[in-house]
Amino acid sequence: MSQAKKKTFKIEPFKHKVEMDPKYAEKTWKILEDAIHEIYNHNASGLSFEELYRNAYNMVLHKYGEKLYSGLVNTMTQHMREIARNVEAAQGGLFLEELDSKWREHNKSLQMIRDILMYMDRTYVNNFNKTPVHELGLNLWRDNIVRSPKIRDRLLDTLLDLVHRERTGEVINRGLMRNITKMLVDLGPTVYQEDFERPFLDAASEFYRLESQQFIETSDCADYLRKAEKRLNEEIDRVTHYLDPKSEAKITSVVEREVIGNRMKLLVEMDNSGLVSMLIDDKYDDLGRMYNLFRRVSTGLQTIREVMTGHLRDTGRQLVLDPERLKDPVEFVQRLLDEKDKYDKIIQLSFSNDKTFQNALNSSFEFFINLNARSPEFISLFVDDKLRKGLKGVSEEDVESVLDKVMMLFRYLQEKDVFEKYYKQHLAKRLLSGRTVSDDAERSLIVKLKTECGYQFTSKLEGMFTDMKTSRDTMQGFNATLAGSESNEGPTLAVQVLTTGSWPTQSGARCNMPREIFEMCNKFKQYYLSTHTGRRLTWQTNMGTADLKATFGNGNKHELNVSTYQMCILCLFNIADHLTYREIEQATDIPAPDLKRSLQSLACVKGKNVLRKEPMSKDISEDDVFLFNDKFSSKFYKVKISTVVAQKESEPEKQETRQKVEEDRKPQIEAAIVRIMKARRLLDHNNIISEVTKQLQARFLPNPAVIKKRIESLIEREFLERDRGDRKLYRYLA
Amino acid sequence: MGSDRVRLNVGGKPFVTSRTTLANAGRGSMLAAMIDENWDLVSELVSEEIFIDRNPSYFSVLLDLLRTGELHIPSGMSEKALYREAEFYGITDRVRHARKGPLDGNRLECVASISGRATGDGTAIRASPDGGCCVAHGSMVHVYNWAMEEQIPLTLDYVNVNDVGFLNPNCVVICTCERGDRAGGMASFNVTSGKLVHKFQVCHDDQLKNFTAGALASSDVHLYASCRGRSYEYGIGTWDQATGQQINFLYETPGRPLGDACKLQWLPQSNLLLVATLFPRSDHSFVSLLDFRTKGKVWSWTDSCQRKSADEKIVMDAVAMEECSTVCVVNQFDNLGFIDMRNSSHPVRWSHRYRSARVSECEERCYSKLAVSGSQLFSSKNDSVYVFCSPDWDAARGVQTARLRKTEGGGAISDISVGGDSLFVLHNEINVFDVWETPGSSGIAEVL
Repeated sequence: MSQAKKKTFKIEPFKHKVEMDPKYAEKTWKILEDAIHEIYNHNASGLSFEELYRNAYNMVLHKYGEKLYSGLVNTMTQHMREIARNVEAAQGGLFLEELDSKWREHNKSLQMIRDILMYMDRTYVNNFNKTPVHELGLNLWRDNIVRSPKIRDRLLDTLLDLVHRERTGEVINRGLMRNITKMLVDLGPTVYQEDFERPFLDAASEFYRLESQQFIETSDCADYLRKAEKRLNEEIDRVTHYLDPKSEAKITSVVEREVIGNRMKLLVEMDNSGLVSMLIDDKYDDLGRMYNLFRRVSTGLQTIREVMTGHLRDTGRQLVLDPERLKDPVEFVQRLLDEKDKYDKIIQLSFSNDKTFQNALNSSFEFFINLNARSPEFISLFVDDKLRKGLKGVSEEDVESVLDKVMMLFRYLQEKDVFEKYYKQHLAKRLLSGRTVSDDAERSLIVKLKTECGYQFTSKLEGMFTDMKTSRDTMQGFNATLAGSESNEGPTLAVQVLTTGSWPTQSGARCNMPREIFEMCNKFKQYYLSTHTGRRLTWQTNMGTADLKATFGNGNKHELNVSTYQMCILCLFNIADHLTYREIEQATDIPAPDLKRSLQSLACVKGKNVLRKEPMSKDISEDDVFLFNDKFSSKFYKVKISTVVAQKESEPEKQETRQKVEEDRKPQIEAAIVRIMKARRLLDHNNIISEVTKQLQARFLPNPAVIKKRIESLIEREFLERDRGDRKLYRYLA
Repeated sequence: MGSDRVRLNVGGKPFVTSRTTLANAGRGSMLAAMIDENWDLVSELVSEEIFIDRNPSYFSVLLDLLRTGELHIPSGMSEKALYREAEFYGITDRVRHARKGPLDGNRLECVASISGRATGDGTAIRASPDGGCCVAHGSMVHVYNWAMEEQIPLTLDYVNVNDVGFLNPNCVVICTCERGDRAGGMASFNVTSGKLVHKFQVCHDDQLKNFTAGALASSDVHLYASCRGRSYEYGIGTWDQATGQQINFLYETPGRPLGDACKLQWLPQSNLLLVATLFPRSDHSFVSLLDFRTKGKVWSWTDSCQRKSADEKIVMDAVAMEECSTVCVVNQFDNLGFIDMRNSSHPVRWSHRYRSARVSECEERCYSKLAVSGSQLFSSKNDSVYVFCSPDWDAARGVQTARLRKTEGGGAISDISVGGDSLFVLHNEINVFDVWETPGSSGIAEVL
């Protein structure tokens, strides 16, 4: 190294042992140590990298690696302690800034030291399992600074205080915060977690526990949710700005737990602003917010669902069982549809079409629709109403949408066969009176029913349509033969031939028809039987209509559109001017209730009273006398005289339909039992009940007691037998 | 600043190069650190050129490597010295990549024949993951680093070595025979310092037991050894490499000989251990694959029911070719055999490729040894190594593609080993081993 010694040369004896300068290691280390000091003092400009690297290389090469390494540890520790003193001395707000700037300097210094000692890192550290220089630098920083007793708590307090201040609305230096948290992350994930994250989460938990308590006392539900949403977004924002991304899930779960999870029940049940009132008032935004927030908590959505279901069932039950509503079936069904629309919209707009909510909605509707045994009838009546008049002038798509909605209600019905019964009746009436508005709409509904319930369900309904069509063809043929044969004197006859079984036949009450009509009927009968051999025709006089031309006083001519019964009655007045009730009854042989209704509509309806009655009263009694009303006038040429009918069924009729339904179910239940037993051979009672219920669910919900009766009947008829050992077991007898 | 040009003065000789060329050396190298901005300002203030106190002739070779990616060593230059310089500059990895490519059995060159000091009887040679190797001679283990520089010789109480193996390039594990009434030992050593790292012991019912380890194998984290003890300690022991603690012991059961196994092989892809108990140690050959996660045998093969005639084929070595799902064996006539390890109870398919009339003319004959690299199989016979290459799906369809023969008079080959992209071949008669490597991207002008 230094050779500038002004001494005379002295030849020394040759040494066998070549020994290295004993102070070599000391000297070299001194150079390196000084360099490390210079680097930490930002005075590296005087250093030569090559020289330092070479010295470190030589030390390792000459087996002074241990000395080099321990020297490094000591020197760095020394500097760390000094830095720690500086940081400790920093006043108030400058503390973090000082720490940050020292950290950056340390990183740079560490980089340079690592460069110098690169050779040691590669060989000595590797061979002797030491900590590499960079990691060593971080560890020393961690132990001497971040975790030194004077700095550790102060650092944590400062950070938490800054976060708290930001939560309460102050603006803080986010860049500085980011640098410090990044330092903690760089020092190792456990340092960040233990020294910052855990206390941070605890503080957040405490903060939000208090704040949410305060919120819930001062704000209504919607307001609270808005605040909660804002807080949540703030925390997420905070993570992206200056925390480790891994903290996001943790801090949001704290907010979720404190602000939402723990307050959920209170919020939902809040008076005047809770979930129920949001649902009533269609607060789509608030509901959507509640959904999005509650979704974050494990039982959140379940809570919403339960409350919604409870509310729906309550309102539904009121709706369905309200005696006022039962008076108007159309209104009744319309209300159900409105309710469904309302909740569909809520689920679509606020609950992002969540399937579980849709299911909850469906099960609630299913629950309360079936509370009222008359729901099937009412739905059929609603359809009847729509198809009779309600759909006039409505576009095809709207018709479809109405029908779709009806089908949706239909799906909720458990007693689908009851609906079928009523639907058949109503459809028959519509078809026979020619009152249906649109054939397409009728058929479209049939198709929908078919896809929903299968071919069997609609085959009879389709049979009715076929009958109508063949009747039209038959009438064309009949009229053609009439025109060909004789003078077409007398009334025109229009016959609809109905297949027995397809139509809801009412007891074929007979009546004496006027002679002219009777003759025409016989002609048709002849014609029909000549083309279709082996058939029997019965006249359903209770279902027909007639157009009569009548001349009143002053030569007033009118065409009267009446029912067959009414026609029979009016024709009597061709030959007499006044008749008693008994005379009419005798002459026409119409069943008393029908006769009374027909007379009532002829004599008692204002503006359509073609008959007069003495005495004048609303009701018909058996002693009344009827007179031809010569003074009848109307501004229309055509006058339609409708029979007074109860649109809804009367009580006895209802009983009858019910009975019929029950009667129809018997063979279906039996068929199901036999099908199951044929496949299973041996089955116990409970399993039969559950399997039969499963099979028939699509049409109706069979009563277990009824199933039991059917089983007994089948045992009597020797389709099944009880097992001799176990009375609960049934055996199929082939 | 701004200029890409860098002026260097290496040992008095000026070099002019560019920052980009030096940056090629990688951030972990001395050359790249030197031009890093932390230091850069400094050197430019002091002088225009950067002085490096090293031999310029080596530097020019290395600078060329950084410029071209190829290594050309001029004739007469010591390779070892060049490696030392590369170590100084921190570009050893680059030199190694330039010199040596991935092992290809058909493009092998013998790069070195190393004569050891010990007297004959080299029993085993094992390759290190980084291209170095170790040779067991009697009771000594000689370790060579990747540049074939001999390290401190290792020994465990001067007892004959049963098996050796590398845990990592810095650490060798040795197991020894029993001596007298003392059982053998097993320990790992640091190869540069020669210091003992861990002693591996077997515990049974919380008591340390005497045992002798026969064969070794290691996975990334574990070390396996076949063990024989006085009473219960027959089986395969498992230790943690980092701590040296025993973590498992799989006892042998009737019909499952493990303790006498003379070859273990770790299969990294399937996480299985091949255990082979072969002829000199037992009368019947028994090869099995063990799964240590379930402590169970997943596959096995034995010839115990097949022996009959004098013409019998005795399996002398076995090795698993994981890529081909095949276990390869070799018999005393140097026939290769293949066993499918996807389903059990498959017979050996022998290939009679080089069954020779003269079974043995050498006085001291060595049986064939096997080694595997991917789907390449290496098999020694007399003084040559034969290379077989096969499609991945069926090792039995392999064909002999090369024959490697180098040292004259080295005599028969007693062991071969593959690792770190090198093939090591240990000769029996005189203590010499050959190193075969596939040349890297650059040609080496002259080797010696």
